[in-house]
Amino acid sequence: MKKLYSVLAVLLVATMLLTACGTPATEAPAVTEAPATEAPATEAATEAPTAAPTEAPVVIKVGEVTDLGGIDDKSFNATAYAGVEKAVTDFGVEGKYLESQQQSDYAKNIQQFLDEKTNLIVTVGFLLGVDTATAAKANPDTKFAIVDYSYPDCFGDTAVEGQTCGSATELPNVLGLTFQTDQAGFLAGYAAAAMTKTGKVATFGGLEIPPVTIFMTGFKAGVEYYNAQKGTTVEVLPFTYTGNFESTDDGRAFAESFVQEGADIIMPVAGPVGLGSAAYCKETGSCMIVGVDNDWTVSAAEYKDVILTSVLKNTNVAVYTAIQQVVDGSFKGGLYIGTLENGGVGIAAVTGASDELKAELEKLTADIISGAVKVGE
Amino acid sequence: MMNTKKNPEIDMRTRIAWGVVLIVVGLLVLFLFAFSTEAGQVTKFGLNEAKGEAITIPDLLLPTQPTNYVLALILIAFGAFQLARGVKSTSTLVAVLAFSFVMAFLVWAARDKSFSLVGMLSSSVVRATPIALAALCGVISERAGVTNIGIEGTMLFAAQVSVIVGTTTHNLWIALLAAILTGAAVASLHAFLVIKFKVDQIISGTAVNILGAGVTSFVSSRFLEKNIDTLNNSGTLPAFAIPLLSKIPVLGPVLFDNTPIVYLTILLVAVLHVVLFYTPWGLRTRAVGEHPKAADTLGVNVYLMRYINVMIGGMFAGLGGAYFTVGSVGRFDEVMTAGKGFIGLAAMIFGKWTPIGAYTSSLIFGFADSLQVKLQILKVGIPPEFLLMAPYIVTMIVLTGVVGKAVAPAADGQPYEK
Repeated sequence: MKKLYSVLAVLLVATMLLTACGTPATEAPAVTEAPATEAPATEAATEAPTAAPTEAPVVIKVGEVTDLGGIDDKSFNATAYAGVEKAVTDFGVEGKYLESQQQSDYAKNIQQFLDEKTNLIVTVGFLLGVDTATAAKANPDTKFAIVDYSYPDCFGDTAVEGQTCGSATELPNVLGLTFQTDQAGFLAGYAAAAMTKTGKVATFGGLEIPPVTIFMTGFKAGVEYYNAQKGTTVEVLPFTYTGNFESTDDGRAFAESFVQEGADIIMPVAGPVGLGSAAYCKETGSCMIVGVDNDWTVSAAEYKDVILTSVLKNTNVAVYTAIQQVVDGSFKGGLYIGTLENGGVGIAAVTGASDELKAELEKLTADIISGAVKVGE
Repeated sequence: MMNTKKNPEIDMRTRIAWGVVLIVVGLLVLFLFAFSTEAGQVTKFGLNEAKGEAITIPDLLLPTQPTNYVLALILIAFGAFQLARGVKSTSTLVAVLAFSFVMAFLVWAARDKSFSLVGMLSSSVVRATPIALAALCGVISERAGVTNIGIEGTMLFAAQVSVIVGTTTHNLWIALLAAILTGAAVASLHAFLVIKFKVDQIISGTAVNILGAGVTSFVSSRFLEKNIDTLNNSGTLPAFAIPLLSKIPVLGPVLFDNTPIVYLTILLVAVLHVVLFYTPWGLRTRAVGEHPKAADTLGVNVYLMRYINVMIGGMFAGLGGAYFTVGSVGRFDEVMTAGKGFIGLAAMIFGKWTPIGAYTSSLIFGFADSLQVKLQILKVGIPPEFLLMAPYIVTMIVLTGVVGKAVAPAADGQPYEK
């Protein structure tokens, strides 16, 4: 029996070690530089205390907590981290990330960064809204930036602060990073309506939550605007949801189903799930994909033949802006809104677009910025 | 049901219960799906997959209201007949009930619209495949008396290995083989722990699952994501249309125009059924799972049988893992199996630990999976979350024993000590 327990113990320890390696506190490659900048400072402090206190820069620490999609989701977690990495290069801050494997990891990961005295904690995603607010209230000296969310978020009688919503008041140490992706989705919808051959286009999401549906409603409004302008009858199939952000096989099945119902352009708003749709389109040649969050012809280059365009949510620009504010001391809570105007959102080049369509899209962009064309109804 | 024949009173009671259920469902169909529609409405089912079949047949046009009247009448008449006389076979009753209700529901949901019926059925078969392979893994392990809940983890390992092998060798058949061998290797780890060291089988299975998610996520984020073209872009096994058979309308695109993994699964179901119930090997396997001591007394090597069967099960799970990568999207993403291994275990229980039962229940889960996509497109007005729950609710209903009692092999999950 003793042998039994020792084997079991070894196995469990191995499991924990390996899962631990796989997930938390995977330091960014860039971090290897960061300790190097720190090291001289500490050496100077211990070896030569009499020496003039050199600048001994306090390295600003930035930590990103991902949602369940993980750091390599080729979506907002990855894009947000690109912003951190750019700040590491430009400002010499220290950048780290922690991946969340399940919902209960959110609070744990935030706490770990708090324990490490991180200056700015970037939480990625709507789903971290409550935990971020709770941590921000308990640690007013730490700065937070949350992607796709803003405070106050407690509305109505049923909202319970700290449970169903984060905070009833604006938090001075949290910057909400939000995006008017419907503006960019509108452009993509317009382009899709112009490019469809079957007269049907489709879009699906991971979950029915605002940061997902805003893409979809913008897309639909764009198609309708095209119809109104050109007198066409391009149809958007009803919105559908996979219920997860992981299963690429679902992405494939959804794409197949849309093609069966006659659609030839599909916009998946479900992180890596959309890559399954792209694989289906590439294999069958029966559809084109509108990427979301970042330019899929770059981030998923293996599918670039079937990427019509991408709706860009430049989370990196927003995160970079937040870090910049911390570095130059101008950080204050509130709201950052990414728009077509400030480059927070945008649209990638449309594959196979005629010069006419390109010109129309440019004009439309200008019209949306000037307010001549209203995206929301 | 076999045991009910012995007792005429219980026989009588189940007969009446079935009759009442049929009539109630018939009335439900009448009220929900027939009266709520209008006279002129027409439902259109697409019967061709847009793949360019040689023979295209016209789409099926059904007048919504009359069709559902007929279906409701069939249900009620069947129920009445059941009350008066009684039908022997439970499966006939289940079939009539399920077919009429689902058909009425679809006719109602697609009123004034059209949707591809063939497309839905063919994606049901495809979506059932990984569930079925996981279920077969469970069937053969548990028949030999070893509970394996580590199927999910095993599939993740196999999925990842197959995509790496497929990308580096450019040969998807080798990738498939690698997945199968990986499955066997992971299963043998589980077998080693639970047979040799008699570790609690649930704990060992859980460890395999955690290990699978952890190691594959680690490898994925460290290596695969950074080297997509050299490690994580295998392409997929092409669909292979069986000549002639695939030209049959409706059945052709559903059954005979699939990827090799789908065919292989159907073949394996048949083979496993024969092996398990009609060969000495199968008899020994079952003996080891039901009463290992007796089997041992008769000279069956209990440990060896268990090792080999768990490893064969691992091979099924390995093939199931390959479905996700080389069989579907040609790339690996973290935790991409999304719980299919666990649903496979439910399918195994639903199928009463038999290969054919497990496959049938996998088809039901696959059907629920593809149905919910179509229902969302049809805008039925049922929240998508609820539709996504459907397969799990079905599982729970099955587990409560409403649809026949499912009895596990007697020595399932118990280590054997000489």
